[in-house]
Amino acid sequence: MSLTSVITRRTAPGRPLPDTAEPKKATFRHSLHAEWIKIRTMRSTLWVILGTLVIGVGLASLNGASAGDEYATMQAADQAVFDPLATSLKGYMLAQVTLALLGGLVVTAEYGSRTIVSTLTAVPHRGRVLAAKAVVLAVMAYGAGLATMVVGFAVGQSALESAGAPYATLSDPQALRAVFGGALYLTLAALLGFAVGTLIRSTTATVTTMFATMLIVPAFGPALPGPLADWTATYWPPSAGGQIVTAYRDPALLGPWPGLAVMAGCVAVLLVAAFLTFRRRDA
Amino acid sequence: MIEVRGLTKRYGEVTAVDSLSFGVLPGEVTGFLGPNGAGKSTTMRMILGLDAPTAGTATIGGRAAAAHSVPLKAVGSLLDAGALLPSRSAYHHLLALAAGNGLPRRRVHAVLDEVGLGSVARRPAGTYSLGMKQRLGIAAALLGDPPVLVLDEPLNGLDPEGIVWIRGLMRRMAAEGRAVMVSSHLMGEVELTVDHLVVIGRGRLIADTSMAAFIEANSLREVVLRSPQAPEFAGRLEAEGAAVHRDGDALVVTGLAAPAIGALAAARGVELHELAPRRTSLEEAFMRLTHDSTEYAAEKETATATDKEAA
Repeated sequence: MSLTSVITRRTAPGRPLPDTAEPKKATFRHSLHAEWIKIRTMRSTLWVILGTLVIGVGLASLNGASAGDEYATMQAADQAVFDPLATSLKGYMLAQVTLALLGGLVVTAEYGSRTIVSTLTAVPHRGRVLAAKAVVLAVMAYGAGLATMVVGFAVGQSALESAGAPYATLSDPQALRAVFGGALYLTLAALLGFAVGTLIRSTTATVTTMFATMLIVPAFGPALPGPLADWTATYWPPSAGGQIVTAYRDPALLGPWPGLAVMAGCVAVLLVAAFLTFRRRDA
Repeated sequence: MIEVRGLTKRYGEVTAVDSLSFGVLPGEVTGFLGPNGAGKSTTMRMILGLDAPTAGTATIGGRAAAAHSVPLKAVGSLLDAGALLPSRSAYHHLLALAAGNGLPRRRVHAVLDEVGLGSVARRPAGTYSLGMKQRLGIAAALLGDPPVLVLDEPLNGLDPEGIVWIRGLMRRMAAEGRAVMVSSHLMGEVELTVDHLVVIGRGRLIADTSMAAFIEANSLREVVLRSPQAPEFAGRLEAEGAAVHRDGDALVVTGLAAPAIGALAAARGVELHELAPRRTSLEEAFMRLTHDSTEYAAEKETATATDKEAA
């Protein structure tokens, strides 16, 4: 933006001159910029991210302290499967819900406030709009997820250490996998909320669905009849994906990366459905 | 600039817009009128590419809305002024729209100043009055300095100052050579502003005419007169070929102009207490025009309700 063009505008108010600095074509990069402005000026974004950090770090600290105290009184068998890594990263269970809520809000806030109308008249390429939203969300969720995991890990391990229980350090490859993989899992959780939010458009319904998917089904899975309970524990995407933050390996369950792949596959399928729906649906 | 050809939208059994064809020309304000539920908003949404037509096409500058490389520079629109995230400021609302089209930040400042929101642009949009939201909607429409404007009921709920402002803006935009399409369900709102009229009812085209021709065709010229000798004089007027009907103690005469009536009265020694030419309002003409389509709608709703009761 040159100084002369500003001055020219001022001298001819109301009749803007042709502006050579303006683009010949709006592109994906422009949509990324627009979605970045929108997500950072949405009030809920700040609260959701702060909430994610507080929950993640708070739970790591509390779990570390209480598990550390319990460790001393455990049976030898329980001590053998004690997982300091998962103990400090349990906050992911709630963080996945808050980030899924952020993912949902990126779309449902537009339907709730009807701003989707101005968004889609400004950029009628629906695929471009949705892809830009997904990329901006994924970057933000990965950042928030990684911060939650790293700080949660550090706080949790130091709580375990001061309680005299076994603890892990970041130089441990398993710990690195859990922290960075956990952040990836939280990014997938945000994208899951995003896909579901795009499909059902209502904030409340999206939040309810995410609660059920991420917390209720895994919690009540064991109450299901045998084979179904086993299947849920192993393959239900949030349960499978959650293996990424564990160090102890239950041979009946999927490994960390295959588990995360199940979650990623589920998210990919829902994202495809969301894109197809969003492209066809009347705004 | 806007071309609508055979545009149709069906929702299941209901046809909201029925093979509509019309054009909106540059340099004119085109009023898009019809009773509530006539399909005005649906038509505008299809023109803007928000809703997919069941059949037919709508183009802006020869292309579908979605085919423009910088959409905000092709068409500006105001569909729903209340469609704002309450916590986001007007400035950021516009900044995001501008960014998506690669428009520079100074366009945001320019349109905010143009609509008079410059000093309150950083306030959350949720704190705005209806009039301010309407101004913000207009600002968004002007972001790309587009040659075509599509405004859906922009005068709805505005105070008199806001109405005067938007009317002036529309006239100015047309004078600058832009094509302006403005919808309303009230003739009175737009009769002083529009050059051309497109009237629809039940999704069908009822009229597509210049405002001047509409006035010529639809405004009856009447003369109201009062006279102590009204009953006898009425017969005399009818003998001259006028149509006369009573309205209280007055006579309403059509088919004979006021000077002719006055001359007749003078020649006959008829004492006149009032002789006033008047035009029927365009609102009445508009209501007559759309009467069939609204009446049909009311009948159909009643029929549906009766069916439901029967079932």
